[in-house]
Amino acid sequence: MRMKKGDPIAELRIRVIDYKDEKLLSRFISERGKILPRRLSGVSARHQRQLSTAIKRARYLALLPYIKGYSS
Amino acid sequence: MIRPYEVVYIFDSTLEDEAITQKLEEVHALIAVDGAEPPNLNIWGRRTLAYPIRKQTTGYYVVANFDTDPEKLPEFERALKLDEHIIRYLVVLNDEPPTPAQAPGTRDGDEEDN
Repeated sequence: MRMKKGDPIAELRIRVIDYKDEKLLSRFISERGKILPRRLSGVSARHQRQLSTAIKRARYLALLPYIKGYSS
Repeated sequence: MIRPYEVVYIFDSTLEDEAITQKLEEVHALIAVDGAEPPNLNIWGRRTLAYPIRKQTTGYYVVANFDTDPEKLPEFERALKLDEHIIRYLVVLNDEPPTPAQAPGTRDGDEEDN
């Protein structure tokens, strides 16, 4: 049986996601640095929207990579 | 109208600490409004960038929170853009401050990082 998992962000009692919290954000990106779909992460729609902006801001500030696992 | 803003600056990490403090004062003079409190600074210091910017691998991060009139922003941002020692900056409206993470199941306090 598959369990319905709750929103992992709501579980942390976060209402507004902080784009500076790269530790939290890094849990929602793939090993290549892509934003995980909510189908995989179980994040609520509201939080997924916030997450997407937060990750993009964090990337701009070089807190998160645009592409991970790539060395020039 | 006065609104709350948050700015993240990434300075050239070769810059002296005093030079950075001085620069911050200079740019913050541009957003000062009567009756507003001075910017609340959170200095992260030098950290590694997730990817190189202008051939640099480290940057000096400073986060500032302040209230200002949006009309002051264009000139403020222009100054930031022109400054070669600011390798990147981000200005965001901070009308909904982020909520800090708390470990699931715990009540106030008891923070845990994983």
